[in-house]
Amino acid sequence: MKLNKKNNCSIFLTAGYPQLNSAPKLVEELENAGIDFIELGIPFSDPLADGPVIQETSTIALNNGMTIDVLFEQVAEIKMNSALPIVLMGYFNPIYTYGVEKFLKQCKALGVDGLIIPDLEIDIYEFEYKALFETYDIPLIFLITTATPVDRIRRVEKMSKAFIYLVSSSATTGAKASFSKGQIQAFERIKALNLKVPIMVGFGIHNNETYRTVCNLFDGAIIGTAYLKSIANKVSTKAFVADIIG
Amino acid sequence: MDLIKPLQSLKVRIMLIKVCGLSEESEITELANSGIDMLGFIFHKASRRNLNYDEAKGAFIRNLACEKVGVFVNEEFDYILQTGFYFSLTHVQLHGNESPGMVQALSRYFKVIKAFSIHSKFDFRVCDLYPSADLLLFDTKGDLAGGNGTQFDWKLLDSYQGDIPFLLSGGIGKNDVKAIKEMNHPFFEGIDVNSKFEIEPSRKNIPEIKTFMEELNKSISKTRKGYYGEFGGAYIPELLYNPVQELETAFERIKTNEEFKSKFKHLLRDYVGRPTPLYFSNKLSEKHDATIFLKREDLNHTGAHKINNTIGQILLAKEMGKTNIIAETGAGQHGVATATVCALMGLDCTVFMGTVDMERQKPNVQRMKMLGAKVVPAESGSKTLKDATNEAIRYWINNPSTFYVIGSVVGPHPYPEMVAHFQSVISEEMRFQLQEKTQKMNPDIIVACVGGGSNAAGAFYHYLEEDAVALYCVEAAGLGIDSGKSAATSHLGTVGIIHGSKSLVMQTDNGQIIEPHSISAGLDYPGIGPLHAHLIKSGRAKSIAVTDAEAIKAGLDLTRIEGIIPALESAHALAALDKIELKNKTVVVNLSGRGDKDLETYLTKLNLAENEIE
Repeated sequence: MKLNKKNNCSIFLTAGYPQLNSAPKLVEELENAGIDFIELGIPFSDPLADGPVIQETSTIALNNGMTIDVLFEQVAEIKMNSALPIVLMGYFNPIYTYGVEKFLKQCKALGVDGLIIPDLEIDIYEFEYKALFETYDIPLIFLITTATPVDRIRRVEKMSKAFIYLVSSSATTGAKASFSKGQIQAFERIKALNLKVPIMVGFGIHNNETYRTVCNLFDGAIIGTAYLKSIANKVSTKAFVADIIG
Repeated sequence: MDLIKPLQSLKVRIMLIKVCGLSEESEITELANSGIDMLGFIFHKASRRNLNYDEAKGAFIRNLACEKVGVFVNEEFDYILQTGFYFSLTHVQLHGNESPGMVQALSRYFKVIKAFSIHSKFDFRVCDLYPSADLLLFDTKGDLAGGNGTQFDWKLLDSYQGDIPFLLSGGIGKNDVKAIKEMNHPFFEGIDVNSKFEIEPSRKNIPEIKTFMEELNKSISKTRKGYYGEFGGAYIPELLYNPVQELETAFERIKTNEEFKSKFKHLLRDYVGRPTPLYFSNKLSEKHDATIFLKREDLNHTGAHKINNTIGQILLAKEMGKTNIIAETGAGQHGVATATVCALMGLDCTVFMGTVDMERQKPNVQRMKMLGAKVVPAESGSKTLKDATNEAIRYWINNPSTFYVIGSVVGPHPYPEMVAHFQSVISEEMRFQLQEKTQKMNPDIIVACVGGGSNAAGAFYHYLEEDAVALYCVEAAGLGIDSGKSAATSHLGTVGIIHGSKSLVMQTDNGQIIEPHSISAGLDYPGIGPLHAHLIKSGRAKSIAVTDAEAIKAGLDLTRIEGIIPALESAHALAALDKIELKNKTVVVNLSGRGDKDLETYLTKLNLAENEIE
């Protein structure tokens, strides 16, 4: 998956929200608004790392009838009309139940560019699934935090093929504040590691200020909760993206 | 009485296996592919297994992707360094009288294993001089430096008090599986095998090594850290990696710590009121033509077994310097037990509880508030235990310095093991109480209810390896197993991941967790602890489902015949007695809690029944 040199902007949306078939249209809008790649969230009944907004959109998406098979149909549709890289993000249980190999095979066939599975812990991935991911050549994108030990970050660096997802702070998704001095210092410590893999920052990016801050240090930002809220508030995608990118 | 005993058959560790003295390329390839953790090469001219190499073999070894250990005996620093770089070794093992300085210097380049020859007069304090070693290796003292193929008395290891993990070495062969399995030293990391698996020096008997590994894997149900068979593990978001790691390290330290054990024991005795009685129920025995005992966990302070675990975990939290405690609760018993111990120890306490449960277990909500805890309603999903657990985990992610006291044998490793460990006092007591009352330590049958399964884990713990003791997990069938309103996880569940561990989970075909139903808030959970999933799947334990109505009836019956009002959870275990062949058997039912919290539910049903009669 190819990223720009800098200022990559990625949007997360829950597949199946607000309507079951919203994703293809939203992706088109996002592409027109200048977004660099998309994260499509596979809704789960018990999203442990997510705040209230993504919990809510997940529940609505599930009630709308979203499943992995439906999602794959939508990905196929999106891929026909768009060159934007698509990363799928979902908790491990639905993927495990679907069948990890079957899932990876489908991803490969559809040209999915990467996967984010927040609760597939690194050791478990390495022990049980790494070989399978490599067979199907689907990069797994790992999360790190500013508190992740350096040797663990180095392990992640070695295993990462697309980018590393840096979680901005110790919080579930949707935290809304500016970055503190301590957070910026922690970012700088990660920056100083000079990782060979691009770093995208997510969790808590909700306006131009937070977007700018992380883009100045890293390769780009991922926005989720703020975008989902803007959908609920009937803000147009174009206006939302213009506001964030500035 | 030893209140804390490590769980033998379900040891939580990766058993590291090193095969030493290799030379043949075909053997090395085969071992590297069969899951051996470390391959050992000997660089000691006096050894019959000294590695004779040429450039081709050098390149071959360099290209191996596994952990490679070079064994040296009193060699010069430069020689070790050069050899290590030449073969790109990951570890060097020092088997002579190398100094601590040497170990430290080499540890800048490699992981270092320092070997010691153990004999009856060996002073283990010597090991403390080598803090930079990554691993120690305990071998037998003999005539030859670097391994003699004989065993030392492994009991001597009890005197090793250090905290560097060690490998056991010296004459380990295929007949040692049982002894290895029984090793319960907290820093026992794995084994090193060599001469007992050889056809001739440095020619290994590969099939025999493989069989040995299989045997070892079979007898130790968990070869991977935190697994019970295929279940368990720590499926956690990276945000929880540090807190879980910190907890695991702390738990490993206190598990065998005498001071901790003694504090725990004293609180259980003087504060909780343990041991709880093992009460012979004449009426139940007559009814079932059996010898039936009730293990009276309902007589614990706060009215259930839950406090055994909260005392243990909150003592641990204190040790770790934590000041904020959080917990999830279903029936409220774990919440009350957590709030109680927090009050005792002066810690802040926040309890997450589903709003449905807050309604049906009101007295416990009031108790928690009175004890000074903050009760946070969980409004998502089914608004019961599952959702309370979600909220607690989310809070933990947002406040990683908090100590999360999980109330059942669920959650990411080390929780299932830790909770079982603290609850194991139940079966510890049962053993001597049964001995006293029946002249036998073992009953024929143990029956316990299972939501997540903490009281069952405690009641089964010391009997897990006694195959003659039949274990029954009683689950809540709600309105009936197939009614769509049930919490009978082992009947309805499939393998999945819930709250950080792999277990049996009630879920849709699409992997969405199903909202369970049970009249008992403590059993109203769509998962089951990984230990129980393993016990049930492997056939060691049987599972029985009991409906809401059957449980209510059994609870009311016990109230009238014995004057004991059981918790609705425990009433499920009692109801199961009608479904098991009990004739002439000695049976223990774990009466996990008292029913005061359930009066409203009981009375509603009782009034309904009485109205029907009128």
